[in-house]
Amino acid sequence: MQANKQTFTSMIMKNPGSVAIFSVLALCASSVVLAQDTVCFESREGASRVTQKDLGEELKNVKCSDKTGAVLWWGDPFDGTQPMGEMPIEADYNHGEAVVKPRTGQLNLYPICGIACHNGAFPPPVEADTPPRKLTMHMDLVPDALDLQHGNGGIWCLDCHDAKTRNKFVDNAGNLIDFNQPQKLCGKCHGQVYRGWRDGIHGKRIGEWASTGKKRWFVCTECHNPHDVQQGERQSGFAQLAPEPAPILPKGLDNADHEKHGGH
Amino acid sequence: MTEHKPPNLPDDEVSTPDSVSRRGFVKQVGGISATSMLGTAALMTNTDEAEANSEWAEWFQGSYRLMSDEEKDEACARLERRYSEEYDKKVSVDSTPAQEGVLFGYALNIQKCIGCRRCAKACVKENNQSRGDQEIEWIRVLKMEKGDFDASKMADGYPDSYGIQVGGNAYSASGVVLEGEHYYEPEKVPEEDAFYMPMQCMQCEKPPCVKVCPVRTTYREPDGVVVVDYNWCIGCRMCIGACPYWARRFNWGEPKLPKGEMNPDTHYYGNRPRMKGVVEKCTFCMQRTRKGRYPACVEVCPVGARKFGNLLDPDSEIRRVLATKKVFRLKAELNTYPKFFYYMD
Repeated sequence: MQANKQTFTSMIMKNPGSVAIFSVLALCASSVVLAQDTVCFESREGASRVTQKDLGEELKNVKCSDKTGAVLWWGDPFDGTQPMGEMPIEADYNHGEAVVKPRTGQLNLYPICGIACHNGAFPPPVEADTPPRKLTMHMDLVPDALDLQHGNGGIWCLDCHDAKTRNKFVDNAGNLIDFNQPQKLCGKCHGQVYRGWRDGIHGKRIGEWASTGKKRWFVCTECHNPHDVQQGERQSGFAQLAPEPAPILPKGLDNADHEKHGGH
Repeated sequence: MTEHKPPNLPDDEVSTPDSVSRRGFVKQVGGISATSMLGTAALMTNTDEAEANSEWAEWFQGSYRLMSDEEKDEACARLERRYSEEYDKKVSVDSTPAQEGVLFGYALNIQKCIGCRRCAKACVKENNQSRGDQEIEWIRVLKMEKGDFDASKMADGYPDSYGIQVGGNAYSASGVVLEGEHYYEPEKVPEEDAFYMPMQCMQCEKPPCVKVCPVRTTYREPDGVVVVDYNWCIGCRMCIGACPYWARRFNWGEPKLPKGEMNPDTHYYGNRPRMKGVVEKCTFCMQRTRKGRYPACVEVCPVGARKFGNLLDPDSEIRRVLATKKVFRLKAELNTYPKFFYYMD
């Protein structure tokens, strides 16, 4: 029952056109359950999401914030994960069990993008010396392609996306990289950060603390938005987000002016 | 030195003049009550109240550290019965001891922290703190200003108005004043010109709180975590005064923990529900970490600023942080030797 509900929800998310047909079925079957589905975001809004599930005995896979919708507690750190896949250089992921949450399941256009629009022959592949132009599609991701918020003007779309196979990335040697392994791509330029990530000192892992334990590794794009890492004047890799509520005030106080000093 | 002794202390510990009055008394009463308890228990069984039953025995419970393994199991089973009834669900009270060869350490990247407070809230979801108007949070996140050096403030110094002086005066702050704010509530974090300083129990190697506890109910475990035996705590709050890191909290009233929000996976030293009048604090999520899981705050940090692991394992994340980053400990001059490290890239 639970599994059915999941598949159903994800089908709708990926294929909005079928909503009408399915909503009739939904009314008969599980419309009440659907309405209760709580979807929370993990690190940043717009990246990995997780649907709250019951694991039995009042245990949930995640607990979320009422205020922001962020995940605040992990009951099942390995929910929806798969093995990390082959990585070229020996590192931590060889010593313990390393799993990741596939990015492709979180990207709405991914299932159709390699078939419907970018099928390899159409649109015609761009030449290497084509000057960058304003985008006519995907402006929700990249509002201004001529002012890409990544690389301070030094890079453009096809430095990361393959010119022909648009649902893959491309490395320096022209090999294709899966969307589920963005670390292989980002490591092209961000070598030092990539090494830190492999050692577990950059980025985030959840699961077991032992160096040989099973961990879910968060991949680059789960925390950083590659199309907007600069964040304008902030020049910071992590977007601002809404904080959780402040702690309650000490008894007898109705504001926090005491900790603000004059002139502010 | 007592904190380094194994859980079962030799008998001479109990017979020191200092401790005869309380421990001896409780021990004797415990002996006497063994028979009387049987009667009481029999009477109580008829009323079918597990809570009443277990509370009697709990009142005569000794110091957990001095108990035999059987007594510990009994104490935990007793608590399980009481909590399960109180919270209408199956509650487990774990007694897993420290693992051999493990010394827990924690590192926080103060450069990455964005002040979102997810750690503080995750801690509450995990550790069964009191909610509502008696809300308790073990993690505090301080907003620190980067300072305000401004030509217009050149005359604001104190006591003399020669240039910008750090601190300014009560009416006009200037320079880097570093007065932490707890209650900041902007729409988005991190704010411009601010950084954030989360603080929690540092699990000191030489904990001042342990030194001052008059009943030795707080002590250092072999894996380095400073714990509180809530049942043995008398609520004198000496430890709160001794802690230089503001890490300890007191239950001034009956804790308010809604049944639905209660986390049933507990540890005796960790997140089991507390009672009125006892002190509590961060235990590195003992109920999770002794079974291999990361602490709850580590797992929710959206920027990966929190690292946790075994300080004795050279391959652990924490050891790599200590080896490669710029690390400092808070108030190191107090010689408390925290195992909670702050670092920068």
